[in-house]
Amino acid sequence: MANSSTPAVQIEGLTKVFRLPFKKEQVVAVDNLSLKVGAGEVYGLIGPNGSGKSTTMKVLLGLISPSAGKASIFGLDSGDTASRGSVGFLPENPYFYKYLTGSETLAFYGKLCGLSRRKIRVRSEELLEMVDLTGARDRRLGGYSKGMLQRIGLAQALVGDPRLVVLDEPTAGVDPAGSRKIRDLVLELKHRGISVILSSHLLEQVQEVCDEVGIIFRGKLVREGKLDELIAIEDQSEIVLQNATPQLLERIAALVGEEEGAQLLRCGNPRTTLERLFLQEINKGSRQGGEDA
Amino acid sequence: MNFPLKNTSLFSGRWLLVCLILIVAGSLRIPVERDMELEFKEQGFRDWSPGLSSRDQLTQAAFVGALGGFRSLVASVYHLKAHNSFVKKNWGEVERYRTVTASLQPKFWSYWDLAVWDMAWNAFGYYRGEAEDYGDDFKGWQIENIVMPTYLQKGIAFAKRGLEWLPDDYRLLKVIADIYDQKMGNAGKAAEWYLKASRIPDAPSHVYRAYAHQLTLCEGREEEAYRVNEDLYRNSGDITLTLLRDLERLEDGIARRAASDMPFDRLMSAAQAESAGYLEMASLAMHLLEVKKDLPAATDVYEKVTGHPRAPSFYRRKLAFLMVEDPKKAVRGYQMLKELALSDPATLRREDITRIGQLESRLGIPEAKRIKP
Amino acid sequence: MFSPLRIWAIARNTFTQLVRMKVFYFMLIFSALIIGANLLFLSFTFEQELKILKDVSFGAMSLFSSIFAIVGTALLIPKDIEDRTLYTILTKPVPRIEYLLGKLLGILLLIAVSILLMSLLFFTVLYIRQHGILAERIASFPRQVSEAQIESFREDIFSRGLQPELLLGIVAVFLKAAVAAAVALFVSTFASSTLFTIIVSLVVYFIGHAQSLALDYYFSMGEMHSAAQRFFAGLIGVVFPNFQLFNVTDGLTSGEVISTSLMARLLGLTAFYLTIYSMVSWLVFAKKEL
Repeated sequence: MANSSTPAVQIEGLTKVFRLPFKKEQVVAVDNLSLKVGAGEVYGLIGPNGSGKSTTMKVLLGLISPSAGKASIFGLDSGDTASRGSVGFLPENPYFYKYLTGSETLAFYGKLCGLSRRKIRVRSEELLEMVDLTGARDRRLGGYSKGMLQRIGLAQALVGDPRLVVLDEPTAGVDPAGSRKIRDLVLELKHRGISVILSSHLLEQVQEVCDEVGIIFRGKLVREGKLDELIAIEDQSEIVLQNATPQLLERIAALVGEEEGAQLLRCGNPRTTLERLFLQEINKGSRQGGEDA
Repeated sequence: MNFPLKNTSLFSGRWLLVCLILIVAGSLRIPVERDMELEFKEQGFRDWSPGLSSRDQLTQAAFVGALGGFRSLVASVYHLKAHNSFVKKNWGEVERYRTVTASLQPKFWSYWDLAVWDMAWNAFGYYRGEAEDYGDDFKGWQIENIVMPTYLQKGIAFAKRGLEWLPDDYRLLKVIADIYDQKMGNAGKAAEWYLKASRIPDAPSHVYRAYAHQLTLCEGREEEAYRVNEDLYRNSGDITLTLLRDLERLEDGIARRAASDMPFDRLMSAAQAESAGYLEMASLAMHLLEVKKDLPAATDVYEKVTGHPRAPSFYRRKLAFLMVEDPKKAVRGYQMLKELALSDPATLRREDITRIGQLESRLGIPEAKRIKP
Repeated sequence: MFSPLRIWAIARNTFTQLVRMKVFYFMLIFSALIIGANLLFLSFTFEQELKILKDVSFGAMSLFSSIFAIVGTALLIPKDIEDRTLYTILTKPVPRIEYLLGKLLGILLLIAVSILLMSLLFFTVLYIRQHGILAERIASFPRQVSEAQIESFREDIFSRGLQPELLLGIVAVFLKAAVAAAVALFVSTFASSTLFTIIVSLVVYFIGHAQSLALDYYFSMGEMHSAAQRFFAGLIGVVFPNFQLFNVTDGLTSGEVISTSLMARLLGLTAFYLTIYSMVSWLVFAKKEL
């Protein structure tokens, strides 16, 4: 994991006020928000709809200018076009140009990043492979499913070999299988040392990938910290056993009872998640001759 | 690239800068554009300006179109509309549409020409037919005396307007003369306009001839007419039938007036003078023929006339017919006619041919040997 | 940092995007129909027929290229915003000016290509008609026609038909559409919807035709005009582009000739307009909240 001293994202005191035209009202979308994403980290920005997640990302990406405060990417101010040389962005529910094929789309964005034709070809192959769309590279985007669009979107974000990837609701509207693929991709990115900042209101999914999490509500960052620290229920421990006999369980319960202050809260079959069950069934089904999701 | 101005509200510095740039850029280009406009005008690219009158004539869409640079397109559309109205015989519409077409494309001769033609020929002819249908009815009188002349005037008006744009187009001048001649029988005006037309450098020669011809039809301008026609006869190199006939008529007129106005001895001395032209002799001959009724003397004088190098050929015909009146000279006279028929058939008018036929019957000339004109 | 390649990538993409739009094909087919319909028009003399053919064709080309320039440009930025593709582009290291220039270049290319296609059709029809007229003339001649006479007919007829000067008219049609597109681009940077852009651009287009009248008013020495009226007229003259200058086809089809210097100035003026409107478009767009 890369560990340079410059943080991937540094937002300090960001405030964004929208003034409605021809009216006196103001909307404070982001209120004195500060956050930092270290190099190689995955940061999740979570909050309900309208809490300012998208606005924050847009400021970071130079699409909107802040009313106050600063945002920078690897030390370069967000207002600077140069800052975007190291960023890839996947917006929420994007439509790309429907008449372009997968590889043409990547070629287009590659040119925008200033890549040479040869480099584009190499990179496209790589990325299409990575997002598992090699089979659909010559199909027009108009024929892609939602999950496929998200994946090509991710590929497009990566075409410039960015060190930071910004994802706005990357799994919104995607089915669980596709969602899983995307989550795997994010983890892959993390393995490669690419910093990620993503926003989502699907909390379960954030939990699986993020190192650090910020909760944003009504424009303010109300809680922030490492994930493990945040959600660990500190005074509880978990032990998961396999093939334990009832006698063993009794012995353990007895041990707990002997300890001062400790309490056995729960004993029974841990629940799998509905998601895992769902995926199991699908995988079974696709092994019996299914199609690519 | 960081801009110091962060606000984007309507009255912010950014917008002021935008307005400033537009105004400054505008001011810079104005002089260049004005110069170009002037040059375009000089080159004839701005023949139409949206004055109030044009707004009346055009529909809203057409006006906008004309302003929007589709002047020619609009003109073409109105040209087609005019044609449709022509087919429907709606002359009011024809006039309106032709006006629009011509005013939108004033440098295009054809549109003016069509307008004149539709008014002075088509509409005029249509109403003449109407007048005939009405006969002696008051309506008939009205059409003949008010409507028809109005359309002739409209035709002339179009041509004159066209001349404001195309002052050097002989065709517009000529068509006015044609109207005066063919439709109104006004030889004086016709002559005036034919003359104007003939003065344009690229006017063909027949325009000047038309002028010459019209002069002969004018009362009281015989001298001018003779001068012009004689000059044509001598110098133009191409003697048309009309010219020949006109010249003969004019010379006959001159000779006849001299023969009746001047006393005999003055005629004699004039004819016998050193510098006597053939006209003086012809006058004398005319006098001898018509006043003194002295056929042989007249014949002799005509013989001298035909001997004059500048005497036109019809004098030989005159001589020939006089000779056939005299039984002694009849055969020679007939021979002369025969020669003329072969060498110069233009001198024989229709009435002459009839007379020859009668003569041949009288003389008993067999069919095979008769003159075949 | 300035990259013509990036601009070209955006331009090509814009071109492809617009070419697929049905509105483009409708306009092209419609104008083709109009030009082709010239073959049916009745006229009395060949001068009229050829002139009307040229007038109608130029009119159709000018109308459609100007309208398409405005409508096509008006939807470029709003569509990218609506589809959110704008975000994917501007979050790459693409300066906003390059984006604008790329869009403008794309639509100018498309306009050029469509004008080219329409001109080809126009020239073909003109060629067919002028040869047809020549044949008719020869056939209807009462006597046997000599070589010299054929030559004189040909010169007479062809001089009113397909002539190189027509190319200048076509260039002028393109230049006018180019300026209209630049205006529409500027309006679209601050407009709230495509429709708004189209309406405003059309209004500017029409006022631009009467702009020179406003200036005449301003410069005239008449005592009747108040200072306020003159100021207003002057303002109109300065702010609105002079579209009337590009209307050379009327004169061309009447046989007038455009001097090289005028044409050169027209080209320079177009470049000036494009530059200024790109500049102000950038000023507005650079800090537009997206």
